[in-house]
Amino acid sequence: MDPVTIDTTKIRMTKRKPETALEKLEDTNLINTLLAAKDREGFILLTTIDQAMNWGRLSSLWPVTSGLACCAIEMMAVSMAHHDIARFGMEVFRASPRQADLMFVAGTVTKRMAPRVKQLYEMMSEPKWVISVGSCANTGGPYHESYCVLKGVDNIIPVDVYIPGCPPRPEAWLYGIIQLREKIKNEGYGAKWGLNK
Amino acid sequence: MNSAEELKYLLPNSVVSVGVQTNKPQAVIRKEDFLKVAEKVKELGYDNLSVITGVDRVDRIEVIYNLFSYKKKQNLALKVVLDHRSPEVDSVTSIWKVADWLERETYDLVGVKFNGHPDLKRILLPEGWIGHPLRKDYDMNTEQFVTIGEDGEDIVSPDGSNLLRRK
Amino acid sequence: METETLLLNMGPVHPSTHGVLRFKLRMDGEIIRDCQIVVGYLHRGTEKFGEMKTYLQFIPYTDRLDYIAAMPNNYAYVKAVEELAGIEVPQRAEYIRVLVMELNRVINHLVFMGSLLLDLGASTMIMYGFRERENALQLYESLCGARMTFNYIRPGGVREDLPDGFIPKLNEFIKDMEKRIVDYEELVNGNEIFLMRMKNIGVINAEEAINYGMTGPSMRGSGVDHDIRKLEPYSIYQDLDFKACMRREGDSYARYLVRVDEIRESLHILKQIVDKLPKGNTINQRYGFAPNTGAPSAVTSYFPRIFTPAEGEVYSRIEAPKGELGFFVASDGTTKPYRVKIRSPSFCNLVALPKMVLGLKIPDLIAAFGTIDIVLGDVDR
Ligand code: SF4
Repeated sequence: MDPVTIDTTKIRMTKRKPETALEKLEDTNLINTLLAAKDREGFILLTTIDQAMNWGRLSSLWPVTSGLACCAIEMMAVSMAHHDIARFGMEVFRASPRQADLMFVAGTVTKRMAPRVKQLYEMMSEPKWVISVGSCANTGGPYHESYCVLKGVDNIIPVDVYIPGCPPRPEAWLYGIIQLREKIKNEGYGAKWGLNK
Repeated sequence: MNSAEELKYLLPNSVVSVGVQTNKPQAVIRKEDFLKVAEKVKELGYDNLSVITGVDRVDRIEVIYNLFSYKKKQNLALKVVLDHRSPEVDSVTSIWKVADWLERETYDLVGVKFNGHPDLKRILLPEGWIGHPLRKDYDMNTEQFVTIGEDGEDIVSPDGSNLLRRK
Repeated sequence: METETLLLNMGPVHPSTHGVLRFKLRMDGEIIRDCQIVVGYLHRGTEKFGEMKTYLQFIPYTDRLDYIAAMPNNYAYVKAVEELAGIEVPQRAEYIRVLVMELNRVINHLVFMGSLLLDLGASTMIMYGFRERENALQLYESLCGARMTFNYIRPGGVREDLPDGFIPKLNEFIKDMEKRIVDYEELVNGNEIFLMRMKNIGVINAEEAINYGMTGPSMRGSGVDHDIRKLEPYSIYQDLDFKACMRREGDSYARYLVRVDEIRESLHILKQIVDKLPKGNTINQRYGFAPNTGAPSAVTSYFPRIFTPAEGEVYSRIEAPKGELGFFVASDGTTKPYRVKIRSPSFCNLVALPKMVLGLKIPDLIAAFGTIDIVLGDVDR
């Protein structure tokens, strides 16, 4: 078979590179309602207040440092240079739950640890989100039949996003994080009433 | 003469029998003399207590001590056979410090009582847990829940209503 | 002056306890007067699973004990089963096993260096450590498809042969690592603050270390050069040239240095394996079989699901990156083990910690604790 030669000069990117501030912000796909008004000096961006708040929240989620088991090692891997959750403004792992608004339940929640996890969740200030990572936190996973493992962390605290895997690959974590951002984007009355679609 | 036979030769009355634990010599010890034998064994140079294993054999409980001598580069396994209803044996914490946690673990999971242990309480499971999970007759169907008490210690109860979320 | 002691609780959720460990400290001002360790927050009942699952089904559970270095766990369990049933292992499989285990030792010590320095407040090293780890994990991934929980070693051999291009990539990794370990030593070892926090902290002498059941690098930092790979050579370690790294001081710094030396030693072993790697089967043909799929690199070996060793008991131990890892397996002639007992290095090494930190300050506790290098999955099982 003859090798196929591709003339790269013929290929045109269909999507234009965002140039103005409005286009750049739209390109991130993090705000639903976005208007721009032309002023004498330039653009003024307009959005609803709850959209602006959601945008602020989802762009700087601070997780609490609470590794439970094997999955916590992957949590470290995700936060390190190779996968780098600093891209999502999330590398600020907080030792105190008071300063955090996201909890990764990363690992096996044993019966003995369960009240502590719950306490940790209760100590976080609103608004707060929970990502349950790994089969163990989702359902008990490989330890489902065990005498001392809780069968799913959603028995004790509400969970926003579940990431399956044992342990989930870092890519799966990133996908889960993106799903959570999507969820936060559509929070609030504006979105509920259909204003910010 | 392997290490178990040597022990039998030195303490003929305390060693019930000698055998093997798959390529390691093993001596079965009378449980009344266990502390005495352990002291002797330490004198012989067995400075490393690797592990203490409790095995529930339904009609009896066996406790197996795996020892190693760094000086002589020899293995030795000691076994005591205990009564199933009230398994009790002397603690060896005074001889090998590592026995402290190993004995607590065996007490926790198999339910062997070690006489003379300075602080014999559960280690892996919370205080108040019902049953010893590695016994063959442990009830795997009853759920037990843990909550935190006033002083920060664990409270075990079969009722998880103040832990579990109402759905 | 008479002062009152204060009870201070650390953990179970604390950034420098490597998971869910809890210290109960009695403090006299800044000084630790008593230290109690509370473990068990990650107790998952692995030993009960040993009784509930078949011999083969239990292998994945061993992965989840020491999840930073899972291959040695696989191997330790499989070795116990092999000794129990008297299974022979082909040479190539042995070489591959040692290869993956030594690679895992490198990973373990890198993570150790990183997390120790992170606990001390220096966050550079963990970035580097995880960068190298990521490279090694890619090797594992090409080998068995998993990054951390491998489920790779089988009684009688290994699950799969090395994939194409594994050895060149490994060579690259070794060459890289040899250069980088020099950098890391330069970065860390001479650092004034690091030395001040590590030297003469958490001292334990040789005799006590043995009596308290310490094993592995933690013990070898106290001037004992016992290494199970040398004492009771298993697999192919008698054919390999390496030395048991040892330091005399017995403090945190010595324990740290032992591990850095071990990275070098492991790389040295890896190089020898690459040179010597024989050809042949990767699983004992009497038990496992390798279906011929045509492609030489995609040969998967199977071990029969139903497998009944004769009655008996065995205790077999290996030198895992953290110390002596032993499995006691009792068989009653059925398809499931009668009893599995795990002698985990982290659990036994922790016993000595309260002794080491008496009279020190809390930051020293973190330093001493960091150099014992535990993993909570291994402590609580
Ligand atoms: S899901 Fe798997 S990797 Fe994660 S904590 Fe559970 S056993 Fe470990």
